[in-house]
Amino acid sequence: MNALSTLPNLTDTQIIEAAQRRGEPGWLVLRREAAWKAFVEAVPPIWRRTDLSKFQPDRIIAPEAPSATRLTWDESLAAQGVIFMPLVEAAKSDDPIVRDRFGTAIDAHSHKFNALHAALWQDGAFLYVPKHVAAEAPFVASFGLNADGVSFAHNLVVLEEGSSASFVEEYSSADVNGQAFSNPATELFVGAGALLRYVVVQSWGAGVYHIGAQRVIAGRDATVEWVSANLGGKLQHVEAEIALTESGSRVEWQGVTFATNKQSLLTAPVLRHVGTNTESHLEFKTVVADDGYSSFDGLIKIEKDSKGTATRLEEHALHLGGKGRTDSIPGLKIDTNDVARAGHASTSGEIDEEQLFYMRARGISRAEAIHMIVMGFFDPVLERIPSEDVRGRVTAAIEAKL
Amino acid sequence: MNTELVITDLHANVADKEILKGVNLTVKPGTVHAIMGPNGSGKSTLAYTLAGHPGYQVTGGEAWYQGQNILELAPDERAKLGLFLAFQYPVAIPGVTVANFLRAAVNAQRAEEGKDPKQTAMPMAQFRKELREKLTELEVDESFVRRYLNDGFSGGEKKRIEILQMSMLKPSMAILDETDSGLDIDALRIVSQGVNRLAEQNGEMGALVITHYQRLLNYIKPHFVSVMMDGRIVREGGAELALELEEKGYDWIREEVAAR
Ligand SMILES: Nc1ncnc2c1ncn2[C@@H]1O[C@H](COP(=O)(O)OP(=O)(O)OP(=O)(O)O)[C@@H](O)[C@H]1O
Ligand SMILES: [Mg+2]
Repeated sequence: MNALSTLPNLTDTQIIEAAQRRGEPGWLVLRREAAWKAFVEAVPPIWRRTDLSKFQPDRIIAPEAPSATRLTWDESLAAQGVIFMPLVEAAKSDDPIVRDRFGTAIDAHSHKFNALHAALWQDGAFLYVPKHVAAEAPFVASFGLNADGVSFAHNLVVLEEGSSASFVEEYSSADVNGQAFSNPATELFVGAGALLRYVVVQSWGAGVYHIGAQRVIAGRDATVEWVSANLGGKLQHVEAEIALTESGSRVEWQGVTFATNKQSLLTAPVLRHVGTNTESHLEFKTVVADDGYSSFDGLIKIEKDSKGTATRLEEHALHLGGKGRTDSIPGLKIDTNDVARAGHASTSGEIDEEQLFYMRARGISRAEAIHMIVMGFFDPVLERIPSEDVRGRVTAAIEAKL
Repeated sequence: MNTELVITDLHANVADKEILKGVNLTVKPGTVHAIMGPNGSGKSTLAYTLAGHPGYQVTGGEAWYQGQNILELAPDERAKLGLFLAFQYPVAIPGVTVANFLRAAVNAQRAEEGKDPKQTAMPMAQFRKELREKLTELEVDESFVRRYLNDGFSGGEKKRIEILQMSMLKPSMAILDETDSGLDIDALRIVSQGVNRLAEQNGEMGALVITHYQRLLNYIKPHFVSVMMDGRIVREGGAELALELEEKGYDWIREEVAAR
């Protein structure tokens, strides 16, 4: 049996029994049970910029077992105590690192989709990098859809003090006839002085609803370099947050979004400056064409007890004609007087005719010139992807849309 | 096929204002034809119109090259015929490196209808070799090719990169719009040598050289000099005309034109 039942027919008993059959520890079974209760009780969220009117949750089929997690890494790192394995397996071993961190960064009860995720997740990776271990090669977790067109992935990443690693999360599939559903969550803990490079690539095929959450907790002097690529699916609603809770932590966060063909791609990054001398730089680049819709619903919070925060937010949008739209609602909430720098820049425009002409005067066709300008627009972000393979796949996914 | 560029009675508007008011000019293969003239007389407008800038509307006249009225062609088709414009104000393309841009341009010009572009593309090794040669000739540092095209380049650097592009694309008809302005003394020599080298390699190359200064013409020897004023060519002569203009300015030509 690979599936339980559709959501309307699913019961807590089914969820509990399935978890027990898989040999999950009691604490995890209890979490699933509580999350399912929260899901059943919660009202569907009303999101201003994510239109779920055509979404049919009743057609979602709860998976019985993991199906589509593919992990790629340099296995020789295991000798240094590095762990990279399916999260379900890690949970079964009842490792306290998993038990103590799991579910603490993302609140399963914050809204209906997070609750659904916490009740039903199957796929996903556990990455653990011990103190002062520097892992060169990236850890790549790739996700696809199961036979019923669903994916529930939960990733848990723990980088101990002074370590460094790159974690890549990729979602991809062929186009889907009808509706498919992806509901992931990723929790990342970056220890003191550690460096995490975090790359998320969403390039689902047409028809996929991708509703997920990501949250990073950064320790003292930790550095996070985060790249998000939002390319595929029918609809994306991703709530992504980083909390710079400890002094000296910083994040460099870049995103590319390319919405075409009636896609609606929303990214809602939240950046919390809590500690002393924390730094952030956000740079989001958006291209829309046809009837694509992209929204950037960002919030930078400089909290009351923070000191000496430096932050800079940049958003740039490029419209390729058609009826594409972008919404940008960057918010800055400052609850302290002690801020070092807070800057914001945004641009929005169409392809520059002078650039086009210059390129055509060199023999490059109009179509190719537009192609090059779009790739060039994204290039400074793509360049930051710490794996040539992944960069190649992202580039290909973008090119396929041009 | 006629490798002369023959411009007859060319009229063009910019923002609904007539700038070119009947230009007649022939650039013969294997010759350098200089155009001089006061600021605002329409020299760049002529260059842009020939290259096909969408902001310049042709309202009359023709420009024949290689058996076609190029005014009817898209800008990229004109480039593929061998026309090259070195811009007075080169445009920055952030995100596209000099190397990638050059490769795209070289391969676009080699592309043939009905053939796989991969087949007609210049092999990577050959491209690299040629690029390295041109960089050396034009004394451009290798690091430039990895930078975004014209992005943050100094005025002189941009001009040098224009000539680098020209050297890679090997046009048969080159229009240089004030390529000398902004160049320091050494750069002027190096860039001029670059142009002369191309002209030597391709004895059939025609060049339309727009400049304000006789100085450039010491390096790139013109066979003909035309003076443009208020959207027309008002006087033609040999290399000596440039010297005369340097000495006397434009007033005497203005007076002559007024007396006609
Ligand atoms: N986009 C534009 N809108 C309005 N007028 C324009 C535009 N472009 C050019 N012109 C006008 O056309 C005229 C000719 O300009 P052009 O640039 O061709 O002169 P030029 O001979 O190249 O001058 P220079 O020696 O200063 O480079 C000028 O009066 C200029 O102001
Ligand atoms: Mg000019």
